[in-house]
Amino acid sequence: MGHIHPLSRVIGEINEIFRKMGFSYVEGPEVETEFYNFDALNIPGDHPARDMWDTFWLKPENSRKLLRTHTSPVQVRYLEQHQNEPVRIIAPGKVYRHEATDATHEAQFYQLEGLAIGPDITLAHLKGTLEQFFKEFYGRPLEVRFRPSYFPFTEPSVEVDVKHVSSRGEKWLEVMGAGMVHPKVLEAAGFDSTKWQGFAFGTGIERLAMIKYEIDDVRVFHNGDLRFVNQF
Amino acid sequence: MKVSRNWLQNYFKQPLPDAAELDHALTFHAFEIEEVEEKGTDSIIDVKILANRAADCLSHRGVAKEFSAILNIPLKEDPFRKELPTYPVSSLLTVSVDDPTLCDRYIGAVIENVKVGPSPVWLREALENVGQRSINNVVDATNYVMLDLGQPLHAFDADKLSKKDDRWHITVRAGKEGEKITTLSNEERTLSPENLLITDGKTDAVLGIAGVKGGKMAEVTESTTSIILEAAHFNYASVRKTAQKLRLPTDASKRFENNIAPFTAGFGMHAAIALILEIAGGRCEGIVDTNSAVPPVRKVSVDRQKINGHLGTMLSKEHIADALLRLGLPYIENDETYTVTVPFERVDLTIPEDLVEEVGRIVGYESVTATPIPPITSPVSINKRFYYAQKIRQALIALGFDEVMTYAMQEKGVVEIANPIASDKAFLRSSLQKGMVAALQINSANAPLLGKDSVLLFEIGSVFADAEETVHMALISGARKKPAALLDAAMAAIETAIGTTVELVLTEEAYREFNLDALIAKLTEPTTYETFSVVTDGNKYKTINPYPFALRDIAFWAPETTNSESISAIIKETAGPFLVRLDQFDEFKKGGRVSYAFHLVFQSPTKTLGDQEITGAMNAVTAALQKAGFEVR
Repeated sequence: MGHIHPLSRVIGEINEIFRKMGFSYVEGPEVETEFYNFDALNIPGDHPARDMWDTFWLKPENSRKLLRTHTSPVQVRYLEQHQNEPVRIIAPGKVYRHEATDATHEAQFYQLEGLAIGPDITLAHLKGTLEQFFKEFYGRPLEVRFRPSYFPFTEPSVEVDVKHVSSRGEKWLEVMGAGMVHPKVLEAAGFDSTKWQGFAFGTGIERLAMIKYEIDDVRVFHNGDLRFVNQF
Repeated sequence: MKVSRNWLQNYFKQPLPDAAELDHALTFHAFEIEEVEEKGTDSIIDVKILANRAADCLSHRGVAKEFSAILNIPLKEDPFRKELPTYPVSSLLTVSVDDPTLCDRYIGAVIENVKVGPSPVWLREALENVGQRSINNVVDATNYVMLDLGQPLHAFDADKLSKKDDRWHITVRAGKEGEKITTLSNEERTLSPENLLITDGKTDAVLGIAGVKGGKMAEVTESTTSIILEAAHFNYASVRKTAQKLRLPTDASKRFENNIAPFTAGFGMHAAIALILEIAGGRCEGIVDTNSAVPPVRKVSVDRQKINGHLGTMLSKEHIADALLRLGLPYIENDETYTVTVPFERVDLTIPEDLVEEVGRIVGYESVTATPIPPITSPVSINKRFYYAQKIRQALIALGFDEVMTYAMQEKGVVEIANPIASDKAFLRSSLQKGMVAALQINSANAPLLGKDSVLLFEIGSVFADAEETVHMALISGARKKPAALLDAAMAAIETAIGTTVELVLTEEAYREFNLDALIAKLTEPTTYETFSVVTDGNKYKTINPYPFALRDIAFWAPETTNSESISAIIKETAGPFLVRLDQFDEFKKGGRVSYAFHLVFQSPTKTLGDQEITGAMNAVTAALQKAGFEVR
């Protein structure tokens, strides 16, 4: 019997957990435009916030095409197609960051983003959704906490920590960035931000898997080595 | 930013809590803490100031104000709320700004008869504790004010400028192509019209790079007797671009690129003049200010309903009022609508949601109680590609194929990356083949360790050709004999699973690739996901052993009555601790006896095994099998 890649397996698990909460699995292109990757997310060109994402640009540079640094563009595109309707989606997908590769960083990795928009979706619903996700994904209830943070596309913005119990003891681990979608992002996608609101979150899928299976090096996910794949 | 507890203490009458409590307070209500370090009687807290607060919090005053709000302890006084004295207009200095959009405020002050020398101990310590070098009392004073109030300042040796009509002239202008500067740290840079410069208005000489770094030419040294002090506001985009292009990121450029409020300059200048006169003596002859206008009053409103409606909380009017008060945000409440007069330095507060965040973080996010998301009325849509990909995966693993994921950035391709991380990763793959072939190679070398006769791989991933990005799927076979047969069987299994034929885009004897997107377009829309039984968890990953393995085979005759479990047991018991795999690969009957053949894989987790150790293990196994009455071949 062969083995499916642990990331495919994890994405399958994630999809099933969120499907039960009403989330649809949506995809989009890996080669994106500057507009969908940055401008539509309230990250203007000359702003230092751009420095938060190390970007791969494609030639010719004046085409303003890049390899997406997150799957948020998938959400923007979806919002544009479903203006002023309730939205509930997850967008797992491959993203690229111009970073030196080491045990915890890879230039290509999988990100999971989620988005829920409605007339009254709140930060409390975000906490509830994430608690439910972590409980099912890690197989036991895990404490979740929020800390203040900043992303240009959410306001308020939070970092999400989970309390992880392992053979080495108890530790709070930062797993996600999240927050309430910034009204500018909603307006740019054609939503009336006085009538619609909701949350968004983003996390690295390799990171979720590394925590779950106590994997110590992120590079094993994409180097094609079956000594990794065949352990699952 | 490194923040000193002792320095912060200057802002408070009552003693601040210890560093651990300060760490906790900021972490849960404002900023992440990188590190806390004890330095003598001081604690140094390295705070990760968030990008949206860099305009007002890259300073001890900003962080002190945060502690004031979080710990609910009042500041002794807030320097930004004090009335500033007026200074006489200088008759020794004129300032001209070529483009006010690049520099919308420039304050220059002339201080005569200073005595430049070492700084007093308290100042030297304060700066060194937060990782700054002490230079001399005048330069240190400017750095101190920057770290205290957030306003970058610069001091020039006035006598290095040339007078015209008995005055010094500062001109803020764009650089000229090819113009050069040697900075205070002896870095040489070539400038361009993109760079805003501080120059000598008479001679046109370059004195400094605006908002970034000063030049060596007008450096303040122990022989300086008159200084021109600068507190200004430069265009954030221009400073950011210049600092990046010239590779000169500085504490000053960081503050300007985050758009510190222009009105801060007056407070910075006042503090710097006072400190310099105190520690270096001298007299302030006067100032020039190109724009002392008080900024228009800004108001932002938020309702209690919006705060609770966004956070999902039930905060009372008292909660909200308390949070705003502690933050020093003056407001008027009218029927549960709070209209805040935004202090000039809080450039981050512009929309009601910004106030939702202020209240939320001060009250604390533990007050947000997890609530299940309400059920959705419209049905969940099924992802067609994922659905069919999962079916194909199941069909392939049943035939012994393993799934891999390989790198999209490769040496050759059609779509080129402008800024690759390596020269052999400058293109996006236009096919999956290269990656699959490489994966086959490494895995074939490890086949004995994996317990495989042949390696069979598949990958599903994006490929890039000009305007097209499509998802392809590829299969590769490492079987030495008839690789095509296995691949044909796999393709047949795929076609059965999805119910249609597959058009290949690339076929070789041991390789198949096809366009998954094109295939899926032909298939019917699924209405529900299929569930596949998953191998149970309890998987704990074992770090891949980097040491080489050794493969040995053993073959022997045994009586027909023996079973392979007992044989395996004998081998495992005697092969020693380094046997990591035992796989039977052959068995046949002849003349009342059975021939068995096993692969043994040896590997140590801590070193490369030597021939002797392996031979020793094999001898032990051979002896044990012979003792059991088997004839080893």
